[in-house]
Amino acid sequence: MFEKLQRAFWKALTPDLVLETPQAVAVPEGETPLAPGVLSALGGADNLKSQQRVALTRVRVQLQDAGKLDAVALKAAGVPGVMVLAGGVVHLITGLNTAL
Amino acid sequence: MTTTHPLELLAPLSGVLLALDQVPDPVFSSRLIGDGLCIDPTSQVLCAPLGGVISNIQDSGHAVSVTDDNGVQVLMHIGLDTVNLAGKGFTRLVKEGQRVEAGQPLIEFDADYVALNARSLLTLMLVVSGEPFKLLTPEQGGVEVGQPLLRVTPQAGAGEDEQEQGDALFSKPLILPNANGLHARPAAVFAQAAKGFKASIYLHKQTQSANAKSLVAIMALQTVQGDTLQVSAAGDDADAAITALVALLADGCGETVAVQVESIEPVAPVSSASLLRGVCASPGSAFGQVVQVAEPDLNISEAGAGEAIERAALERGLLEATDALQALQAKAAGSAQAEIFRAHQELLEDPTLLEQAHELLAQGKSAAFAWNSATVATATLFQGLGNALLAERAADLADVGQRVLKLILGIKDSAWELPEQSILIAEQLTPSQTASLDTRKVLGFVTVGGGATSHVAILARALGLPAICGVPVQVLALANGKQVLLDADKGELHLDPDLAEIEQLQATRQQQVLRRKREVAQASLPAITRDGHHIEVTANVASLQEVEQALSLGGEGVGLLRSEFLYLDRNRAPSPEEQAGTYSAIARALGPQRNLVVRTLDVGGDKPLAYVPMDSETNPFLGLRGIRLCLERPELLREQFRAILASAGFAKLHIMLPMVSLLSELRLARQILQEEALALGLTELPKLGIMIEVPSAALMADLFAPEVDFFSIGTNDLTQYTLAMDRDHPRLASQADSFHPAVLRLIATTVKAAHAHGKWVGVCGALASEALAVPVLIGLGVDELSVSVPLIPTIKATVRELDLADCQQIARQVLGLEEAAQVREALRLYHVANVETSLVVEN
Repeated sequence: MFEKLQRAFWKALTPDLVLETPQAVAVPEGETPLAPGVLSALGGADNLKSQQRVALTRVRVQLQDAGKLDAVALKAAGVPGVMVLAGGVVHLITGLNTAL
Repeated sequence: MTTTHPLELLAPLSGVLLALDQVPDPVFSSRLIGDGLCIDPTSQVLCAPLGGVISNIQDSGHAVSVTDDNGVQVLMHIGLDTVNLAGKGFTRLVKEGQRVEAGQPLIEFDADYVALNARSLLTLMLVVSGEPFKLLTPEQGGVEVGQPLLRVTPQAGAGEDEQEQGDALFSKPLILPNANGLHARPAAVFAQAAKGFKASIYLHKQTQSANAKSLVAIMALQTVQGDTLQVSAAGDDADAAITALVALLADGCGETVAVQVESIEPVAPVSSASLLRGVCASPGSAFGQVVQVAEPDLNISEAGAGEAIERAALERGLLEATDALQALQAKAAGSAQAEIFRAHQELLEDPTLLEQAHELLAQGKSAAFAWNSATVATATLFQGLGNALLAERAADLADVGQRVLKLILGIKDSAWELPEQSILIAEQLTPSQTASLDTRKVLGFVTVGGGATSHVAILARALGLPAICGVPVQVLALANGKQVLLDADKGELHLDPDLAEIEQLQATRQQQVLRRKREVAQASLPAITRDGHHIEVTANVASLQEVEQALSLGGEGVGLLRSEFLYLDRNRAPSPEEQAGTYSAIARALGPQRNLVVRTLDVGGDKPLAYVPMDSETNPFLGLRGIRLCLERPELLREQFRAILASAGFAKLHIMLPMVSLLSELRLARQILQEEALALGLTELPKLGIMIEVPSAALMADLFAPEVDFFSIGTNDLTQYTLAMDRDHPRLASQADSFHPAVLRLIATTVKAAHAHGKWVGVCGALASEALAVPVLIGLGVDELSVSVPLIPTIKATVRELDLADCQQIARQVLGLEEAAQVREALRLYHVANVETSLVVEN
């Protein structure tokens, strides 16, 4: 009995593990998925290698093939600015107001 | 005073316009530096918006100003906080003093690098000479480089240079504390302050001088940290100007600079008439009213009404209690709490306990008496085992005993009628008491007993409510309804709080919430100090799920995988294949660029593992623990090494041995590792390191260092072994503090030895997860902080606010202090200074 009890409590009481459901879980604000229109203007989900919010106002994406990017469609999908960089890296300027 | 032609300023970049008010940097949005506009760039070459002379271009290449022949001066500042990049990512295409045409390229920048390494790319174009202007485009939307953007109306006489008149007064020389010199932000603060005086004021650096009221002139001085500066002023208020400006410079002009922690008055942890002190069990603060929690005494008659009846009564009581506990598990505040009730339920089925009770029933005792005697006897046994953790579990047994007892006696737990905003005060709160709470009405907990591992602590942390433990017994005498202020961060209960204190605390709370939000939003940014020193922030994990969570919160790797947790619920060891699969899955999740530090099984008498049975020891903390146990059972270690080695190549694999106190242990383990690697045909060994958690290892770090690849400091054990205090001991917990200078000195010794041999040092103990400790750990030279997963964003943000040079200074200071409380106070003062200044800048 001691053993079982000890084990259960030890697990429960290790301070680092106590917080296993921190508020942060609800807010893995990591990345909100891109809107479907934006995604298709980028050449579809298959063309997307990575996605990361950077620099307060930007979503940095890496594309398999930057040639599939449709700048006009992006604008239509509500992305006011696009910056195409080397190596398939594209910055979508989404502004400060986009929910983080 | 030439004719005043309107002047058109061209867009220096292509991009998206943003109103200046919206720029998330008050120095710009407040127009402190000047009015203008902001462009979120989509091009990477900054061009001159007007023809003129480059009046200033910062060495770091992130800011440039152009002055035309009529004195119109335009400053362009690329990105926010880009001064921290120290020039990286920027290429200057022009020189100071050079004449440029409108539209001529001035600075080229690497937008991707800046986006990934600075706060923002938002670029400001400000008319710093102050002329009014009109926007020539819609306030929002896109602009193309070279397109006319603003029409400036030059004003006669504007921007005229003042000449120093009469006899100037000079300040004493002072050393510039700002890490990046007087760049745009502090220079603007300084110039703004100077403008508040009538006197003509100059700032001198060696033989150069600048009009202190001109931002650009100050920036043109190109000051760096450590420069000797003087302020001179001539005019009516020259005296006042010098006094004010010298003080401003010394304070960093709104930037965080090294705090002079000269007079640290030790705060004696004593309770006074208006203040009671305890230990923080859950952080936060609250203002509310006292609610005393007391259990009624139960009336138990010894004699029973016949064995069969009493036996049935006990059965019924146990059954009902089981149901109740089941229900409690379902609605528990967190899985830790559910776990406790599950354990309580198991207690109800415990054969020894039931046997004892049944024996008493057979002697004709009542069900209540029999059950009570059995639980009390067992609880006493728990307490007598000399293990603090088990002693605390005696409280559980008493709790579950009480629950069944009440059911047998037919006493209904009346639902607590709590007043709003209750601060609960008790000798000790049991899980059953806390589970039936209306937590919406509870603001905090204060208990006499218990420590950081007590139920109250767990519950409070799960609910995010403040709690303190180990408070003097006189707290139980406080009247119900009394208004008190609970400041758990400091471990204080204020009995006569004044309004100012309360408001301040609430404001602080609000700021903390905002701060947390910001930290999580910026979690993916690297942890680089203001002066460019990178600290690796990694995670302490016990499962694949935690690894994934850590990565999403900005963790740069795993600094401690607690391998003993992977199969905690097992009664038998997992198969070698299963172990290999687990390690490989974790390594794959991390990828080949990230560190994975696997700690070999760290079990012992105090941390039993079902499938590693061992004899009980009188003093398990000083017994067969960690590597000692593994070397005692080398097959276990060999098998684990094989499983870990299966993940080699998927991540940067590191193996770490716990509880090492002798060189022979390290050598033996290395030999076993080499044999296993050889058997698997691996040509390259993974990195092998040891945990520094025994003072002998820290003191001998210079002899260990040549034979390891890295050290990781386990501050929890290091503290309890250094101070000879059990950190779970209810009375000693508050003193078993990792901030003790003795512990910090051992860390300093370890780092020094490691760096002398080119090895890195991490800290994976709880100390690394404390924001307060970050400056001292960095200052002592620690290279990596492995922290509890939810705290990764906080620790990274903390690092970004610091300066290595400041940290080294504060580390030196605290090493000379007498006790942990003094160290905490010194660091708290430092932290307050740091955070408050950065809030000024960022809010």
